[in-house]
Amino acid sequence: MRTAMANRLTPYMFMAPAIVIMALALMYPLGYMIWGSFRDWNPSQTIGEAEFVGLKNYITLWGDPNFHESLGVTLRFAFFVVSIEMVLGVGLALLLDRDIRGISVLRTMFILPMMIAPVVVGLMWRYMYHPTVGTFNRFLDGIGLPTVDWLGQHALMSIIIADIWQWTPFIFILSLAALQSLPRSALEAARIDGATAWQQVIHIKLPLMMPVLIVTGLLRLIDAFKVLEVILVMTEGGPGLSTEILALRISRTATEFRELGVAAAMSNYLLILLLLLTVAMFAFNRWQETRAARVQALVEEDD
Amino acid sequence: MASPNTKANPAFYAVIALLVFMSVGPVILMFMNSFKLDVDIISGSSGLIFLPTIQNYEKALCDVLWYEPDHVDFCSLKFGGAFINSLIIALISTVLTLVIGCMAAYALVRFRFMGRDTVSLSTLMVRMVPPAVLLVPVFGLWNNEFCLDRDGLIGGAIRDTFGGRGDVCLAGTHSGIILIYVAMNLPFVIWILQSFIVQVPRSLEEAARVDGAGPFQVFFKVVLPLIKPGLAAAAIFTFRIAWNEYLLASALSDRDTRTMPILIVNNMSEFNVEWGVIMATGMLLAIPPIIFTLFASRQIITGMTAGAVKG
Amino acid sequence: MIKGLKSTAVGLTTMAFMTGAAFANPYAEYEGTTLIVNFPAHPHYNAVMQILPEFTKQTGIEVEVDQLPYLKMRERQTLELAQDEGEYDLIAYVVFSKADYVYADQLENLAKYFMNPKLSNPAYDAGDLIDGYVYNIGFAGGDKGYLQGSTGSLFGIPYGSETSVLGYRKDIFEKHGLEVPETYDEMLEIACQIPELEPGMGGLSSRAASGHHAAHAFLLHLNTLGGAIFDDEWNPVVNNAAGVQAAEALKSIVDCGPEGATNFGFGEALGSFLNGDTAMFLDTTVVAGQIDDPSKSQVVGKVGWAMHPMGVKRASQTGGFGIGIPANAENKEAAFLLMQWLTSKEGDKLVAMAGGNPSRFSTHADADVNAKFPHMATFGEALQYADPDWRPIIPVWGKINADLGTTLSKVLTEDLDIQEALDGVAERTKAVMEDAGYYTWN
Repeated sequence: MRTAMANRLTPYMFMAPAIVIMALALMYPLGYMIWGSFRDWNPSQTIGEAEFVGLKNYITLWGDPNFHESLGVTLRFAFFVVSIEMVLGVGLALLLDRDIRGISVLRTMFILPMMIAPVVVGLMWRYMYHPTVGTFNRFLDGIGLPTVDWLGQHALMSIIIADIWQWTPFIFILSLAALQSLPRSALEAARIDGATAWQQVIHIKLPLMMPVLIVTGLLRLIDAFKVLEVILVMTEGGPGLSTEILALRISRTATEFRELGVAAAMSNYLLILLLLLTVAMFAFNRWQETRAARVQALVEEDD
Repeated sequence: MASPNTKANPAFYAVIALLVFMSVGPVILMFMNSFKLDVDIISGSSGLIFLPTIQNYEKALCDVLWYEPDHVDFCSLKFGGAFINSLIIALISTVLTLVIGCMAAYALVRFRFMGRDTVSLSTLMVRMVPPAVLLVPVFGLWNNEFCLDRDGLIGGAIRDTFGGRGDVCLAGTHSGIILIYVAMNLPFVIWILQSFIVQVPRSLEEAARVDGAGPFQVFFKVVLPLIKPGLAAAAIFTFRIAWNEYLLASALSDRDTRTMPILIVNNMSEFNVEWGVIMATGMLLAIPPIIFTLFASRQIITGMTAGAVKG
Repeated sequence: MIKGLKSTAVGLTTMAFMTGAAFANPYAEYEGTTLIVNFPAHPHYNAVMQILPEFTKQTGIEVEVDQLPYLKMRERQTLELAQDEGEYDLIAYVVFSKADYVYADQLENLAKYFMNPKLSNPAYDAGDLIDGYVYNIGFAGGDKGYLQGSTGSLFGIPYGSETSVLGYRKDIFEKHGLEVPETYDEMLEIACQIPELEPGMGGLSSRAASGHHAAHAFLLHLNTLGGAIFDDEWNPVVNNAAGVQAAEALKSIVDCGPEGATNFGFGEALGSFLNGDTAMFLDTTVVAGQIDDPSKSQVVGKVGWAMHPMGVKRASQTGGFGIGIPANAENKEAAFLLMQWLTSKEGDKLVAMAGGNPSRFSTHADADVNAKFPHMATFGEALQYADPDWRPIIPVWGKINADLGTTLSKVLTEDLDIQEALDGVAERTKAVMEDAGYYTWN
């Protein structure tokens, strides 16, 4: 009896620390934030002292052109970053998927940018983009080309480039892994049928990789909404609001404008957006599992 | 996977060389600039020929040097202290996350229990929460709610022992930052480790159980040693986030608990764009991740693939 | 650690020396106290860091400084001052924080310290402090709520006070026979001539980056050109003719400025002048020290100083920092002693000699200071025109300032129509003021 009881309790004992910590430091704060988003709350008040204002923060944001612009910047940033990184990463994976000596050394080099702190990435690029002392403009100047106002007129492009530098390797490595676990038989068969390299890529490799690619893309997309430090260090959101992504605007609203309630409401909007993406990812996963089974069956038939 | 039609051709190697140059170039640039004087960096007396100096590092680490460098008028940066803070916070939160995450992942994989699906699903969902979203509530809670009254029993004891002013709150302590890092990293670690634990053959565990081992013994003696690669990967990712994170740390830390990223951002203050020192501090922050990359790239890649592919 | 030991040792020797001295020592009661102060990362306060050991030597009071960039400093203070017991004994605050802190009752009224014969030094000579700054930074509760006046009282003392001056490259002006501009029209004309005369060189480097940078640059011109953010009834008038003119001035300065000027913060603007990429620099006096520092500057000895050019009136900015004692501080009296020492004639001269910005008339006229920094006389002259009311210091200013700065940055980078942009600012400002209750009595 006692052992049965103990056995039933075991999983809860294993789970308990994780549940306690996540409840205390993730779930409770999220609830607290939702509660706070209905208040006119500044950092020197406790939440109890803040006045309840209902949906006012949400409505203000809904009509706030700065919030719209920031949302637009976020979406543009996420879209460009993810699509360009996908194309480059997958392209490189296809190109480098062959036996070359030292591929592991290469991969090591490629993951370096991802491991370095975003703050440091930001300052490296801020230096390289510097209008006069920066590497790029010096190089352009050196070969007699006109210089570019990187973090001024082309700020959004510049931060997108920096993000591509940092995160393309992520997609590259995942696609390479996917490529190398493709069923040999299908490729073998295609080669025997005389398919060119291009035909193999388009008709066999890409479709087979697709499930992994879509998950990877969605993961990157979710991460793209989290980017903050790199941009903070490079441009602080400027010029204008041209690089002020939502995460940065939330942090500025909270610390610089001292409006915790509005920042909380903004966080909620962002959370809803990400929730939709995550749900899309789940839905896709489900769908893919059923489809994978079908594809598997097809491949086996082919053999 | 060598296909016969891919003869090594020069263009191919040129592409590879270019890629390597692009990914490593900025880091090397930062490394070199960290050994230059500001005047050399700004005047652009070109790249490779310069007299290396460690002044920038001396300035950054002035609070832990045993001598006072002549060129430092007063020690403003205190980077040494921040290095130690970062180390404490990153190490402790990595260890805690791993232990707690491992146990949870094991329970999720091996046991059927009430609430399992809920837990599993919410673990996945919170993975998407950006740190910026946590900023407001964590700031409020850590400063105002998660406090002990300074007149109370424990609060009073802490104030008597460690000094300080006001109520004893989580904000401004190492523990406060560690708590949020552990919470933030748990979902990811649980996710990754689940995929490793699934692969541990049940028969091994059964065998141990027949030998009379309790569930905790089975877990620590049998399961843990078998998922070492997974643990390594998870450890590196957790450490990386705890070591690199800026936003939440800057909201939660005080004078004595600031971590390195905070100091770097602070030092980019508008009145002082001292590129040399900034690059030196950047290098110091980048060193541990670079070391990991060089020595554990295999684990990193395993972790990345497992984390992404195993939904 | 070693340094800590060393200064303790110094403290101990001083203590031994002091107890041996025959005369009364006002600091004796506070010997061995450690003050925790919060200062900004700013050239003036870097100079302060160099003179603090002298204070410890004289008084035996230790000072531990938490130096932060000033936006971070403000964030930190917001949090610290709201606690019932705070960490900081003395804080430096930027002018517009005055409104928030005084309004929230977070700064000590200094009257009780100056009344206390044990603390107040009879040789302090408060009349020697530059009055514009005392009104701007120290007073609250008088005219318009944020200035001096019959109902006002003192909450802080200016420390690290800045005004605006025009720095110009003597060599360039001489080479092309240019006159140092006296008026705004002349300045704008020369600013746009320079890029033609000296290819690759910008006219005038100014802050322009999104946020408080652009707002600051705009306000600098607005006051001189006769504009203002509000009229006397708190109605926004930033979009009137003078406002448009000021924004146009800013735009033409940035257009004729050095490369990348649209994204310049203060650091970049100064950097470009230090690097010899621009011919003029219209901003705070705080830069003089760096311009003469060969490790930072390529233009040592080539820079001349002139007064902020005239628009419809001569008016330079008042800015910089003040120091005050938080209401929740632990060692208020010792903090007052530090504050009094720093702003005393002796302290003010020491900090000026270390490259800081003096806050006293006498220091600006001091022979030693002028011998070391010849520009001090021009700065002293400029100070007479320093206008304490060049921008409103009301609690909601932070919000208005942020909006103004972001909108102006759009004018500079996205070619937003100036009138339209300022109309937008005025409209949003009106709403903010309405919300804050400014029109209750209208």
